[in-house]
Formats: sequence, C-alpha cells, structure tokens
Amino acid sequence: MADRSIRIGGLTLKNPIIAASGCFGFGEEYNEFYDVARLGGVCTKGLTRRPREGNPPPRVFETPCGLLNSIGLQNPGVDAFIREELPMMKEMGLVVIANVWAECAEEYGEAVEILSRSAVDVIEINISCPNVPGQVIVGAQAQQAAEVVRRCRSLCDKPLWVKLPPTAQIDAAQAVEEQGADAICAVNTFRGLAIDIETGRPIFANTFAGLSGPAIRPLALQVVYQLAAAVEIPVIGIGGITSWQDAVEFIMAGAHAVQIGTANFIDPLASMKIVEGLQQFMEDRRLHSWEEIRGCAHEGSPL
Amino acid sequence: MAEIAVRTASVLHNKHIAPNVFRLEVEGSFRAKPGQFYMLRSWRHDPLLFRPMSVFDRTEESLSFLCATRGRGTDLLSRLSAGDGLTLLGPLGNGWERIDERIALIGGGTGIAPLYYTAKYFAAKDRSAAIDIYLGFRGRPFLQEEFAQVAQRVYRSSESGEGGEEGLITEIFNPSGYDTCYACGPPAMLAALSKVCQGAGIPLFVSLEERIACGIGACLGCAVRTRKGMKRVCKDGPVFRAEEVFFDG
Repeated sequence: MADRSIRIGGLTLKNPIIAASGCFGFGEEYNEFYDVARLGGVCTKGLTRRPREGNPPPRVFETPCGLLNSIGLQNPGVDAFIREELPMMKEMGLVVIANVWAECAEEYGEAVEILSRSAVDVIEINISCPNVPGQVIVGAQAQQAAEVVRRCRSLCDKPLWVKLPPTAQIDAAQAVEEQGADAICAVNTFRGLAIDIETGRPIFANTFAGLSGPAIRPLALQVVYQLAAAVEIPVIGIGGITSWQDAVEFIMAGAHAVQIGTANFIDPLASMKIVEGLQQFMEDRRLHSWEEIRGCAHEGSPL
Repeated sequence: MAEIAVRTASVLHNKHIAPNVFRLEVEGSFRAKPGQFYMLRSWRHDPLLFRPMSVFDRTEESLSFLCATRGRGTDLLSRLSAGDGLTLLGPLGNGWERIDERIALIGGGTGIAPLYYTAKYFAAKDRSAAIDIYLGFRGRPFLQEEFAQVAQRVYRSSESGEGGEEGLITEIFNPSGYDTCYACGPPAMLAALSKVCQGAGIPLFVSLEERIACGIGACLGCAVRTRKGMKRVCKDGPVFRAEEVFFDG
C-alpha cells in the first residue's frame, strides 16, 4: 500500500498538494466544488497584523500563459482571521497554513506570536510579496530574511515555513534554515510589469506586479532544484503547476510538497484533480512513498 | 441560490450580429437569475483565464451570451461554431432582485447584454410590471426587435446617430415615473445615471465590470472600494446599489 503522506518537520500531511496563498481565499469558496479537506493543506490569504484594503483596481492582468496580480495583501488582519475565518477552516477539517506578511521583523513577530496561540497548524512567513507600495522584498537578502525568521522562531513553537521570492539566492535559503525554519516554500511570484500602450502608463497603480501561472513553471522548477540541493530542510515547490505531471516534476527536482495557485483559476477542481492524478501515478509506478522519486533528477541520484 | 458548477456544453449557434458583437448560444438547462454571469472558456492554458459574460437569455433548453470581441479570449469565443464545446463556470454573482412595478433598465454598449433576460424574467414573474428599456449604442443599434418583445417601451440612442436618436442614452433617460432603475454599461454612463437618480430620489442598481480571475470570490482580483469597504465584483456583485459605489475609482 502506497503511503501518500509526507512529513515536514514534525507535521504529517496526508498528501503533498497544498493550496497556495492568495489563490484560495480561506478555502470556503472551493469547498463548494469538492471537499477541500482532501488536500494536504490550505495556505490562507496573506495576513497582516492589522486589516489591509489592498491595492486599487485593476488587480489582475493576463499575459501569455501567465497572470500578473497586484492584490496588495487585502485581508482582515490576524485578529479577525482568528475570530471569523479560522474556526470555519478547522470545522472543514483543513490543515491550516497561515501566510503572514509584515513591514519589519518586529511586526512579523507580533503577528506570528498572535497566530502561534491560535489553532493554525503552520505559519508560512511571507518575505516575498512583490505588491506592497514602497516595500522591498525582504526575502531576497539573506541577512534581512534571517532576522525575520530569528524573530518569529523565538516567539513561536508551531512549524514555520518561509516563502521565498524567485530571486532568492542559496545563501538566503541557508540563512533561513539556520534560524530554525522547518521548510522553504519557493517560489512566490516573479516581479513583472505591463504597460498600457494607449496611455503609456503602467497597468497597475503600484507599477510592478507578481507573475504566476504556467509561464513561470520552468523558472520556478530550476529554483526548487537548486534550493533542494542546498538545504537539509524540506522545500515546498510553487510556480505554475497545473497538472499532476507538473507536480511530479517538482518532486523529482527535490520538493517534498507543492502548492497549487493560479491553476485553481483555470479549473476550480484543479487541486483535487492533481491529488487524484498523483495517487494514480503512485499506483501505476508502484511507489511505496514519495521518497523513492524525490530529487531523482539530481546528478548522482539513484534511479 | 443555484449551485455553482463547472459544466461543458455544446454550442448551438454563434451569430455575428453587429461589428465585433456576437451572440453565443449553448445547449442545456441552466439555472441563472437575471444579472448573474458565467465564466466561459474554450481553450486550455492560453488565454489563462475564463471570460466573464452576463446571461443574455435563458430558456429551458439553452443559455445565451451577448459578447463583444475585445481581445484574444473573446476572439476565440467569437470563432466557435455549432457543435463546439464550451466550458461554463456558474451561475455567479448576486444578480438583481426585482422590487417594484415601474422599472427602467438602462444599458450602454455590451452593457445591454443582461437587460434582455432581466426584462423577460421580471415580466414573466409579474404581468403588471411596466418595464422600459433604454439602450445606448456607439454605432448602429442592434437587437431592436428582441428587446421590443420584452419591454413596454424601448428607447435608443446612438453616438453616431445611425438608426437612433443621436447622442448618449443618459441624455434621453429621465428617472421620474419609475420605482427602480437598473443599469449596466461604461463607468461614465453609470456615474451620470447615479447622479440623476440620486437627485430624483429613485433607487438605482448598477452592474459593475472588472477583470475577473477566479470568479468565485477567492482571489480578490476584482475587488473594488465601496462605501461599505472592499467588495468583490464576482461574488458580492456584480450588482450594487449605486450610492455604495465610487464611480471615480
């Protein structure tokens, strides 16, 4: 009997498919299409210490096989999340991964401390959002990334995952690992730009936006491949995965699990179909665990 | 509330009815309310997203959409022919509720799309309803006969002056005498209507358009700022009370 589960730090997920932050709300909308508890876990919309309105429209813009977004972290804040959304998520039986963003290490600490006392299962520290006016992407710099993780680790006993930007170098991933992160999630969206050629101005009020979707998949895959070789902790792959075949590719590059984001907009059932496709793949290949193929694409790996 | 589902349906007709405007009809029984919409796609990954389209008409056997060709997605939809498959996600959004007897429906451009089924549905529900329709076109008006069948009176204007009163529909429309007004069209039209309806103390409901990614309220890609905070056009809307909306963005 194949064991479809995966272990990340002290946590076991029933399968390696996780809904990505920002693409899945708090799970409620997709639960109308299928039992979302069938997924390995669900990442919440990016949460902040205080509520945020986010950016003005337009917030989304299509590119070839890709999607630029500039939502700007619209969310109710951690307190309202814990009060109004988390009970429903737990009721649905979800493994809840709370994605958290803040402007500085201290504020990350405040939000993480509050969440650490709640029923969330994992905290995903988002140091890679490209859509906040006037803010740099902290995760691109090893030292700044380490500072945030150190702060959060000292205030939180729950599993801490760290979501890195696609531009993160190996040293940032290693710095985060050294500070006690339980896993690395890579990658967040690529910073992109679109210009309205009628007006000559950027489409988005915040000029840049985050690119996701199948267009970024090979780019994300090579980052995951490199990070998986550079750190001991699990890497969770994200970037343009729309099918079980794509998910297998990330696992073969060394990912323990993968997150599904934009694919949910192509088909609301996408994440569940990937869970089913992976199960079939395991049976067809007579795999006993994901370990048998994880990272097999690396030079010198067996298989 | 009808349950939201992903369905594949077969195209019955796809008729070109005006420059860059087509009417796409698919086979099947769908449970949309007036003012609701579906997300449509007939492709895999490129374009990436569905295209949101409000319901133009619904019968027991079919559902149809009035679409304008604007980019690659709508161009692909315009090329579908009878027998082709179309994937539909819906019905989505709140739609409009009828609350009074004397009703004005005002549409501009492809914003006229949801008005036909709305008028037909309201009239079928209550035979005493008096429904007038105001249609604003840029060029030559279309679907005149169809609209005449579901409304008491149809007023039309054309910016080019072809086949209708020259000018904007907002220049013809007067809210006095109506209990409730419903509008769909370009933001400038909605802003002008909002002003005149507010001045007359007549309730106005507007259907907003935004770029929509997920269509079901999860991604916040279509959120707009309103007097009641951020609202999702796809889930909290597309219909809003005009006084809640900031028309200047």
